[in-house]
Amino acid sequence: MAPRLPARCWRQLALRPSTALPTSLARPSLLPATTTAAGGNTTTSSSLPYIQSRTVKTGWSTLPSRAKPHRFNQVTSGLPAPLAGPAAALKRRERTTPVRAGVLAVKKGMTVFMGRRGGRIACTVLQLDRVQTVLNKTRNKHGYWAVQVGMGERNPGNVGAPLLGYFEAKGMAPKEVLAEFRVRDEKGLLPVGVQLMPDWFHVGQRVDVRSNSRGMGFAGGMKRHGFSGQEASHGNSKNHRTIGSVGPSQGSGSRVLPGKKMPGRMGNQRVTIQNLPILMVDNELGILVVKGCVAGPKGSVIQVQDACKKDPPSQEWIDKSRKMLEERFPGAEAHLQAARERHLELKEARREKRIAELMAEGVTPSEEHADVIEEILAASAKEDATTERESAGF
Amino acid sequence: MNAAPLARRPLGCLKASLRQTRQQKMLFTRHMATEAAQAQTTTTPLPPPQHDFFRLNDRKTKTLRTAFAVYPTTTVAGTAKLAPPPVNVLQSLHEAQIKKMDPTGARTALFAKTREAAKVGDVLMVTHRRGGEPFAGVCLSIRRRGIDTAILLRNHLGKVGVEMWFKIYNKNVAGVEIVKRRAKRARRARLTYMRKAKHDMGSVEDLVFAWKRSRRVFSSGRATAAGAARAKGAAAKKK
Repeated sequence: MAPRLPARCWRQLALRPSTALPTSLARPSLLPATTTAAGGNTTTSSSLPYIQSRTVKTGWSTLPSRAKPHRFNQVTSGLPAPLAGPAAALKRRERTTPVRAGVLAVKKGMTVFMGRRGGRIACTVLQLDRVQTVLNKTRNKHGYWAVQVGMGERNPGNVGAPLLGYFEAKGMAPKEVLAEFRVRDEKGLLPVGVQLMPDWFHVGQRVDVRSNSRGMGFAGGMKRHGFSGQEASHGNSKNHRTIGSVGPSQGSGSRVLPGKKMPGRMGNQRVTIQNLPILMVDNELGILVVKGCVAGPKGSVIQVQDACKKDPPSQEWIDKSRKMLEERFPGAEAHLQAARERHLELKEARREKRIAELMAEGVTPSEEHADVIEEILAASAKEDATTERESAGF
Repeated sequence: MNAAPLARRPLGCLKASLRQTRQQKMLFTRHMATEAAQAQTTTTPLPPPQHDFFRLNDRKTKTLRTAFAVYPTTTVAGTAKLAPPPVNVLQSLHEAQIKKMDPTGARTALFAKTREAAKVGDVLMVTHRRGGEPFAGVCLSIRRRGIDTAILLRNHLGKVGVEMWFKIYNKNVAGVEIVKRRAKRARRARLTYMRKAKHDMGSVEDLVFAWKRSRRVFSSGRATAAGAARAKGAAAKKK
């Protein structure tokens, strides 16, 4: 790059007729500002800014050329939908995403189911402990459709302030476990705060059961990967259960390939057992009995959802289970709304350090913050409405 | 935008705007549909939520730092009852199934931990519904697992030791009978030592034969008090 010279050095060069552009290109009418800039020197004014200045006003767009809407980059232009990206991923997984949300349960143990004709089926008993829906996740806000579900009860002292505020806004006691279940579309979303009972499933339907397997600790290659080990004799010394070679030597890189099976931590991994039939459903005991075994020790947390590789339950059953929820908990929506309003009041009070007075005098909505709260609620309602509209158009 | 194309084709700007209108037409109709659906929802008066406060104190000054509303664990969605489920579900499940599979309670009584019940060391005979000879043998162990309770019988068939497990509540087990009681209570819960040659009882065929003959005598003869008492002890199981 040439050194930046002060103007007094190159001003003399510009006066030379050889460096100046041909006079036929000069259009004095287009260059009104040059006369003042050159300080009265007419030769300079005709030679310096010969390029026509382009601005927004004279038809130059600041948009990058690709972003301009034209007939080839429209949604309706007949181009194939992209094969990668969030929308494509959702579309790809649509068929294997269950229609309904699942439930959380605790593994209580295994027993058998005796049939009337002498059949005997090993089965696992899962118990639903105050399972409630906590949150709906939407495509527009979170990128996918899912229902967050909570189970059990946790001492508020063992819950951090952020989660305390979260459950305050939901109008429910802090839950022991939270988990989310992906659903196919917005039809799978559920009212927030309702309790899911075992009769969310029906006897005979297939479910996928997810849980963490029993942790085995640090295990050797024989136990962890089923290696053969080494021989007991023929001169073997202190290497009876060790793994053998871990790879070829010079010529193949003299390295261990990534993913080589070796000793290490075994178990305590998420395991999915697919297509387990449901043998029994009991609301009073709160249990769900599934055929076969489920990974993990007794007391572990289990996720149960409609099987993704089978047909979803019949539409009648889906409608019926949904209707059952609405009949059992007609006030869920109102309660959630009330809890939200209360949460906003309390949040405002916490921010302004008024929470002590508020607790002392009891919670009554104050007039000065009523407007603010109304605004926030209206904004959230508007946002919800737009979300719904967008999702309808999606 | 550009002045020159507009000058050449004065209606060109209309084309662009019309295209946009066409594209938005479909979306626009959907907006209208969504709006109509929203109008149907009605707002209900909100009940006042009931809750307590959980206090978070400052560790140094021990004064109130902040507080959060904590809703009771006993309610769900404001109204309905929310109770923790029963703890011993497996037991209740077992009881319910046993009641169904053994309505008279005879099998439960036969293997209960009582004086009259069958014990390890007794010679038992199991009649199987799927045909075949009834299997008799000395009871080596009783595995008590509720509905899955099972017994292990050992016998010799053709000078070969044979052991079989029987699930006592299974419908395939038609009956369990006590052929001979052990003279003295076994001091082990599982008599695995009886597999060793020194303690092996061998075939129980002769015991079964003797028992059958005595039963035939009783059943063909009068139904005496003694016979009834023996039958009660044997606790013959039908279904």
